[in-house]
Amino acid sequence: MRLPRIFRTTPFRLTLLILTLFLAAASALLAYIYVATAGEATRRTDQEIVREMRSLTAAYDRAGLDAVNQSLIERAASEQPFLYLLIGKDGKRVSGSIAASPVDKFNGQPTWTTFEVTDQDARGRTLKHPARGLQERLSGGEILFVGADVGEDEAYIDKVDRALFGAGALVIILGLSAGVLVSRNVSRSMAGLAGVLEAVNKGDLGARAEVRGTGDELDELAQGLNEMLDRLERSMAGHKHAGDAIAHDLRSPLTRLRARLEAAYIDVEAGKGDADRALAQALEDTDGVLKTFNAVLAIARLQAAGSAPDPVLFDPGELAADISELYEPLCEDKGVDFAAEVAQGLQVRGNREFLAQAIANLLDNAVKYTPAGGAIMLRVRRRSSGEVEFSVTDTGPGVPETDRARVVERFVRLENSRNQPGAGLGLSLVAAVAEAHGGRLELDEGPGKVGDSGPGLRVALILPRAA
Amino acid sequence: MKILIVEDDLEAAEAMARGLTEAGNEIVMAADGEAGLVEARKGGFEVMIVDRMMPKMDGVTLVETLRREGDGTPVLFLSALGEVGDRVTGLQAGADDYLVKPYAFAELIARVEALSRRRETGSVATVLKVGDLEMDLIGRTVHRAGKEIDLQPREFQLLEFMMRHAGQSVTRTMLLEKVWEYHFDPQTNVIDVHISRLRSKIDKGFDRPMLQTVRGAGYRLDA
Repeated sequence: MRLPRIFRTTPFRLTLLILTLFLAAASALLAYIYVATAGEATRRTDQEIVREMRSLTAAYDRAGLDAVNQSLIERAASEQPFLYLLIGKDGKRVSGSIAASPVDKFNGQPTWTTFEVTDQDARGRTLKHPARGLQERLSGGEILFVGADVGEDEAYIDKVDRALFGAGALVIILGLSAGVLVSRNVSRSMAGLAGVLEAVNKGDLGARAEVRGTGDELDELAQGLNEMLDRLERSMAGHKHAGDAIAHDLRSPLTRLRARLEAAYIDVEAGKGDADRALAQALEDTDGVLKTFNAVLAIARLQAAGSAPDPVLFDPGELAADISELYEPLCEDKGVDFAAEVAQGLQVRGNREFLAQAIANLLDNAVKYTPAGGAIMLRVRRRSSGEVEFSVTDTGPGVPETDRARVVERFVRLENSRNQPGAGLGLSLVAAVAEAHGGRLELDEGPGKVGDSGPGLRVALILPRAA
Repeated sequence: MKILIVEDDLEAAEAMARGLTEAGNEIVMAADGEAGLVEARKGGFEVMIVDRMMPKMDGVTLVETLRREGDGTPVLFLSALGEVGDRVTGLQAGADDYLVKPYAFAELIARVEALSRRRETGSVATVLKVGDLEMDLIGRTVHRAGKEIDLQPREFQLLEFMMRHAGQSVTRTMLLEKVWEYHFDPQTNVIDVHISRLRSKIDKGFDRPMLQTVRGAGYRLDA
């Protein structure tokens, strides 16, 4: 059989353990109290009996049996607590306040015994009192018994016993209640946490634990859990957003591809289309889809990872010079003036390949949108803040100021930029690369309007100072 | 040439085999890593095309095992994983080239041919010769029909690569990877411009052009 839930909780078990220890301590304390009170009362009675016995035996030794007898008679007349019995050498009762000795077997040695005396109260009821007594043989051979009614002692001891038992019971009841209360309290908090976990397991990432502001470790746990869930939710939302963006970015070109293939199929079947051309077009479209896919995947991965993979320390000037060399002939071919202004001796930490791709993308865009007769400048410099800036400035049409902020936003930019000339997925990837490096992207106007061209665009990829 | 294809995607393997057979090669196929290892151990292959993720034994383990056993046959890794790190582990395992799926068939053929040729030119030649074109790798000079051609350093590297793979198609991606060491797709025709510059230097003034454009694939240097 399983115990009710509350008895299985850790706090309750702990309470039980503590209660056991506490009970042991309480028992020791109560035992001491018992010995010090009830035990003391018994001892005092015994001492008084012994003193009386000594006083009577002294009288006997001094003045003989008659003196003792006399004393007993005198004492019987006065109010005193003792019970007496004097037995002669012949074993017959001489005098005393009780009828017979309560000692069954007497071997002549002083013997203690506990017995009962009967008494009648005012209304004639027979009362029994516990009594205690000492029996000794006198030097002359007579036997003397001195006892005392210990009814009052016993009542006192009873009271002490009851008080002690009561206290013990109270300790147990209070302890158990405290245990139940504490464990219920803790259990409730735990149940709250467990409930949140269960909800999250079932897919509700919005579930949060209650933070009561008590600042205890359970509160800390709840707070930690909530923070973790916040992160998880953001990350999941990011992934979902990335998934949506991938779906969006791929669905459109795939839809176009499918439509073209279908149209080509119908045309070729009707004998009026050119199958070769349709296939070549389809291949080209597929390559386009793949390029989009690769870019979107790279962006999603960078954003999901949140940091650049395999960072190394390198000279950004060398990288820029390298890429300039790749793009310069292209610009020249297009009739665009290309210049590179590269600071020497800088250092950045990052993924060289992603940064190379980012700069290449910026140059690709610049080349695409700068008309013949225009100019493109690639610049690498250190800002006064210590940050390293790669910038590409062109004399193309630029991006209207109102759109610039949107172009740098996460994924939002990605969706909008698809229909926007001047910034393809390339710019989204650059922004993702910048973010993954702890940097950012800045968009500005280029050199301004000159005749028909301009105002141009300046895109700067800013990386934090290398640690 | 005899090529081993280790690929668990049978349709992809068939398509590859068909194309490579048409290109005049002899193909052996294995559908998982263990079968691939058995075939590879029989020897006699000029190139192996190995898929990275396969049942029983993955491509990385297969190539590592072969390299440990002293088999130096050039290996082209095929993979759906295209991250920088994935490529690096693939090459560290002992693969000679890495192609990310999906790929253009022309790209595959070009890379397989490049790998087979690489083996032949393993010797340390100091002079490359293709037709009347001569390249002195130590003096860093290029002559065509005895006439010196002045090249920029990158043009020199580009021509060297084309000469080492003379008679084979090389793709733009290959050039970007092997000559510039970049692994991304430029959105513009950067490579074409470099090729046309090189072409104007080595072909201009000669009646027979050597640097050919291969439609749908890339370029080829003919003797």
